[in-house]
Amino acid sequence: MGKWSFARPLSAVSLVMVLALLLAGCGGGSKQTLNVFSWTDNFDEEVLKEFERQFDAKINYNTYSSNEELLAKLQAGDSQYDIIQPSDYMVATMIQLGLLEKLNKDNIPNAANIVPTFSAPPFDPTGEYSIVYTWGVTGIAYNKKYVTDVIDSWEDLWNPAYKGKVVLLDDPREVIGMALIKNGFSNSTQNPDELRKAVEDLKALVPNVLAFDTDNIKQKFIAEEVWIGTLWSGDAAFVQAENPDVEFVIPKEGATIWADTIAIPKGARNKELAEKFINYLFEPEVSAKNFESIGYGDPNEKARPYHSEEYLSNKTIFTSEEDLARTEWLTDVGDMLEEYDRYWTELTSGH
Amino acid sequence: MGRNVYRRAVAVYSAAILAVLHAPLVVLIAYSFNDSRINAAWSGFTWKWYVSLFGNERVLEALGNSLYIAAMSTVIAALLGVPAAVWLHRRRQRALWSGLFYLPQLMPDIFMGLALLILFSRLEIPLGKWTVIAAHVTFCIPVVVLFVLARLSGIGRELEEAAYDLGATPRQTFFRVTLPLLLPAIVSAMLLSFTMSLDDFVITFFVAGPESTTLPLYIYGLVKRGVSPEVNALSALMVAVTILLLAVAELVRRRGETPARAVQPKRKET
Repeated sequence: MGKWSFARPLSAVSLVMVLALLLAGCGGGSKQTLNVFSWTDNFDEEVLKEFERQFDAKINYNTYSSNEELLAKLQAGDSQYDIIQPSDYMVATMIQLGLLEKLNKDNIPNAANIVPTFSAPPFDPTGEYSIVYTWGVTGIAYNKKYVTDVIDSWEDLWNPAYKGKVVLLDDPREVIGMALIKNGFSNSTQNPDELRKAVEDLKALVPNVLAFDTDNIKQKFIAEEVWIGTLWSGDAAFVQAENPDVEFVIPKEGATIWADTIAIPKGARNKELAEKFINYLFEPEVSAKNFESIGYGDPNEKARPYHSEEYLSNKTIFTSEEDLARTEWLTDVGDMLEEYDRYWTELTSGH
Repeated sequence: MGRNVYRRAVAVYSAAILAVLHAPLVVLIAYSFNDSRINAAWSGFTWKWYVSLFGNERVLEALGNSLYIAAMSTVIAALLGVPAAVWLHRRRQRALWSGLFYLPQLMPDIFMGLALLILFSRLEIPLGKWTVIAAHVTFCIPVVVLFVLARLSGIGRELEEAAYDLGATPRQTFFRVTLPLLLPAIVSAMLLSFTMSLDDFVITFFVAGPESTTLPLYIYGLVKRGVSPEVNALSALMVAVTILLLAVAELVRRRGETPARAVQPKRKET
């Protein structure tokens, strides 16, 4: 073996390391960095790029898959994120744990563009910590090829004609909340009698249910495995794009609404840039482009003129004011949560 | 006759096991060529998901993170693991010491991830690319140590002793004799480490911070918005890369074994 037989690979390896270190070193430059921690596909790429250009900043977009994951990262200490997107109930938890910065609304004048319905939601009653970003409603989806009756009430899920073709979300608060609303109670009741009544009602529905499903529920509707069931409006819009026979309604008794918000975690390095980013996102033209691209309802009132006809007329993503008035947020039920979980186990144990 | 039947039964049985093992991957890869956006129905062959995958900036960024983290942790693991293995080889209580080295590899990932997260947060080390690399190094070192130790036992001490007899210093012996002989083991260990780093989800999940969303983390995040065939395409590519790297690692390892044997045909088994 020659003298160089080892020296060569060794120098190649060191060269790679040096290059890698150089690559790691540059890229930072003098630009400000905005560390965004959010759900996957939650922004339009062009919108992010335009922000980087306008504000001479670099956005690091990192993703998580559940609110609990986000919470765990923040609780581990110095997380370095500047922007986070917790869902409604998680905002309440984070405020309680002191994990959120108060937003300086002077830096976010566009916050005033949000529809009044969302300005002071129960999870952030003063609206100081979060701004509603994406939102949706849990309604009834049905395939009009098989379901020919008029669907306008939660009662319709109980129709024996749909036995074995009903699907429900795999989520205790959503499903029990639905039964509570059907019976005229709050979806977050802490009254044991109301809860028991709703669960008794659900027990009559369970034999008709094909599956409790959240992750694959869209496929079930698209492939027409199920005819009718509960579905989030965002998912319903997705299903309709694939299968135009699927209709979506917000029942007359009312429905549960949810939202992912935009907020700044405690100790953010770049709070000012983060506030500029939030303000930028709610500029009418920007939010019109952003929300059409990600396919959720735009909470920005001032953006209406910039939206396409097609988007504004899509009743599924763009719940009407009238329907919205009948919606209700899920709120913390305290110790009753154990009761909800116990009933849920009882309901789903056969499935 | 009876033996024939027995053989056939075994063959069918093995084929069934192989089918069960590989069916999910085959389905995953097949649907990456499906024209429809949903995985429910087959509606024609297409390459479009592979095309759109490479236009997706987030995917490319995650791929870049994954490759960078895998390359760095592999190189660092080799730089730390090779000297450790050489040292271990000379120790008397090798079993005990090497056990300590393998432990991180044998521990359930979730404990390692949690332990590392607690460690980093106690030491107030901000989570990011370097915490992920440090974590990956912990499970790559055992591989390097294992491979190099096996190789060291394989080549015996004769060649080193011959080098000393011919007047080489310990340093010369190490760099001119031992290290070249170890090279195949090091390269195959590095390739295996690389694939392990590329595939890791659980540990990365705990210690990732800004700028360290790797491909597995990205794919997991997609579940919320619905998994598109782009993800099938991405997974198919990862499977292909993993298989390729493992095959190369095995080839390098086998090649390395032959010359060592040829040099010392009368090696004593120890």
